[in-house]
Amino acid sequence: MAYPSMGEAHRRITDYLNKFSDAVSDQDVASLAQLFSFSSNSPSLLSLADALNFFQDANRLIKQSDKFSQFGEILAPLFRSLQSYRLGNLVDAYHAFEKFANAFIQEFRNWESSWALQALYVIAYEIRVLAERADRELASNGKSPEKLKGAGSFLMKVFGVLAGKGPKRVGALYVTCQLFKIYFKLGTVHLCRSVIRSIETARIFDFEEFPRRDKVTYMYYTGRLEVFNENFPAADHKLSYALTHCNPLREANIRMILKYLIPVKLSLGILPNAWLLEKYNLLEYSNVVQALKRGDLRLLRHALQEHEDRFLRSGVYLVLEKLELQVYQRLVKKIYIIQKQKDPSKAHQLKLEVIVKALKWLEMDMDLDEVECIMTILIYKNLVKGYFAHKSKVVVLSKQDPFPKLNGKPVNS
Amino acid sequence: MDESGRRRQQWRNHPSSSASASPSTGPTRFRSQQYSSNPTKTTQSSNFVPRSTTTTGTTPHNTRNPGYVPRWKSVSNANNQQEGETEAGEEVGSIVGTCPFMCPEGERAQRERLRDLAIFERLNGDPRKTSPALAVKKFCRTISLKYVQASDVRPLSVLEDTLNYLLNLLDSSEYPFEVVHDFIFDRTRSIRQDLGMQNIVNDRAICMYEKMVKFHIVSHHRLQNCGSSSISSLQYLNMEQLMKTLASLYTLYEANHSSNSIYENEAEFRSFHVLLHLDSKSQQREESLSFWFRRVPSLVMKSNEMHFARQVLRFYRMGIYRSFLCTVSAEASYLQYCIIEPYVNEVRALAVSYINNCCYKLHPYPLEDLSKLLMMKESDMESFCHACGLKTLSDDGGNKLLPTKQTTFCNPKGSFQSYSILGLQQYERSIYSSGNCRQTTA
Repeated sequence: MAYPSMGEAHRRITDYLNKFSDAVSDQDVASLAQLFSFSSNSPSLLSLADALNFFQDANRLIKQSDKFSQFGEILAPLFRSLQSYRLGNLVDAYHAFEKFANAFIQEFRNWESSWALQALYVIAYEIRVLAERADRELASNGKSPEKLKGAGSFLMKVFGVLAGKGPKRVGALYVTCQLFKIYFKLGTVHLCRSVIRSIETARIFDFEEFPRRDKVTYMYYTGRLEVFNENFPAADHKLSYALTHCNPLREANIRMILKYLIPVKLSLGILPNAWLLEKYNLLEYSNVVQALKRGDLRLLRHALQEHEDRFLRSGVYLVLEKLELQVYQRLVKKIYIIQKQKDPSKAHQLKLEVIVKALKWLEMDMDLDEVECIMTILIYKNLVKGYFAHKSKVVVLSKQDPFPKLNGKPVNS
Repeated sequence: MDESGRRRQQWRNHPSSSASASPSTGPTRFRSQQYSSNPTKTTQSSNFVPRSTTTTGTTPHNTRNPGYVPRWKSVSNANNQQEGETEAGEEVGSIVGTCPFMCPEGERAQRERLRDLAIFERLNGDPRKTSPALAVKKFCRTISLKYVQASDVRPLSVLEDTLNYLLNLLDSSEYPFEVVHDFIFDRTRSIRQDLGMQNIVNDRAICMYEKMVKFHIVSHHRLQNCGSSSISSLQYLNMEQLMKTLASLYTLYEANHSSNSIYENEAEFRSFHVLLHLDSKSQQREESLSFWFRRVPSLVMKSNEMHFARQVLRFYRMGIYRSFLCTVSAEASYLQYCIIEPYVNEVRALAVSYINNCCYKLHPYPLEDLSKLLMMKESDMESFCHACGLKTLSDDGGNKLLPTKQTTFCNPKGSFQSYSILGLQQYERSIYSSGNCRQTTA
């Protein structure tokens, strides 16, 4: 930390104050936003922070001129926050930043046009990131981390400010996405519901008006929620939207979308190409796809076990588990195909004990009752067309299309 | 209460952080702060500001107890916590209780006067008289920490004795179960309140919470078989408190974890969460299991109990009735079974509907085979089919059969007779064996 001289400190602070008030009066949002983008760690911000920490009495400078003092409520906590940030006191930095943000919002409300939206975005972003860091600091000191939760409450307020008829309303989606990130991080995803309801049902919002980037992020998160709730058609729709509208150069984002879209598509009977998995480094799904293609139950179980941690963490494990029924379908179909080659006239009659044997080859030890159970499920859910003769322990397949494809529809429940 | 031995900074070796280096995806967690290193901060009984003796709701201005150290101030309560209601992990402050009785003297005298004594608290059946050996502190909804006196709060050892006293009442057959349940339900809630107010979060608290969870689970099971009409609201409230107590218990486990170890019973108690959420429809209102699994320590995930619960979950959600029934019959512990039991008949009904739908019309399904498949007594099988809206018939040899492809299947409505699951009739024993709550290392 380089300590400036008194005069130098004075100059830096006054410079900044001038930049701030000029930006506001010129409605220059780009310059304004830079002034509180802490996470950028820009040299000018850091040197300002040093100056503040050295000078110690910035409030006097703020009050010195009307040009600055009109923003006193905004600038004073901003300076305090920056000082704490520089000193590594993130909890204090967060508190002060929230005060700054509150004061800024009050002023923002009075500005009729939406010129300052970008600055508001920066604030929303910074407050979330600062809250996360503050929570880490709290946790490492053995205290309960609740700043991120507080940031969530604050952003709900901001959402309320933007949810009006004027031009500022297009900013609501960005704030919504920041809220999603907070709720997902905290695990309190049920709180997403109320914002989603506002966005999707309030008449003031027209989804198409929002910036594309925000729409993609929004669909990504709401798509993930549909995955957690196992509404596969809805998840498919939303995640596919995100995928098609995502900037193709943003490979990391595409990967994130695919990570959830692939299990959804698999549940609808649609398999990805191997090159897709390779290109976006999603090889954890390779064996799952193989298992579905081959009807190899052992491989599916193995794949789930191998990547269990990863699948649990992303929350797709339960979805992938359910692919088992489709794997059984494929296995039975293979047996049917083999029988058809040997003796076409009898192919549509599958003895249970043959299926038991096939499963034994796959090292899956199941008895007749268990296999009978699986077959009744497959028939009931229309993965297999036919009926089951209990007395003779034979599955009799329909002559026409005995293994209907899912074709983009989820397995019947 | 000396836990200073385990107050090491285990943050970076936390068992729940998984091996791969994904940045900041893990949820933040907090650790309790034990007072053994700084006892003077809170174990404070001297400079007490006595509460004013006026009882009519006027707020004395200096009621702030100097011994009161605000701990985890809960911020905006998205989670519907009652105003002032304190449970472990959500407390807003901490004091150290000094009440030596199961019920504070003031409350005891007041309730005697008001004749507000539960049956178990009455001395020789007299509704106006109780004694220190019988009176137990009631749960108080509107309590606010600012006005609480240490002499009204029971310290840990008194709470332990109170809990044991209450749980022993479960064996009494003098009164109908709902009456016993109702009393213990309320009084254990007060115990949790006292624990929360004092911010007691150590091993002994864990032990107590485990016992209280057991109580709620057993009640859940026994209330099903009670049959009286007021049961459903008792069941609902019991379930609500079961979830709350379980959530608090998990918070305690997490706050007390030292490196790479979990508590002796933790795996089983975590498995309860899975079993209580078998039905995915409940996910719409609360956190999905997919999310919940992310936070579970990997040692728990690897345990037999969790493995069992996840298997049961998978079988239930995919409708694999045979494996569901076999696995439950073979592996469920008593408490796990208490939770699963309501699902057993649901799964059986599902099985009957599948079989009715898929089996060959010309081969009616023998009830003897069906009962073996569904692990029911053959004598129960017929009435079960009828409860599902299906007819049965007898063949020439007197064997009972279920004709298939009937169109009248319906899910059995309401609380119908509970059919035991073959292989699990042994679950009649008492559940309060003297287990302790040690941690086991990996």
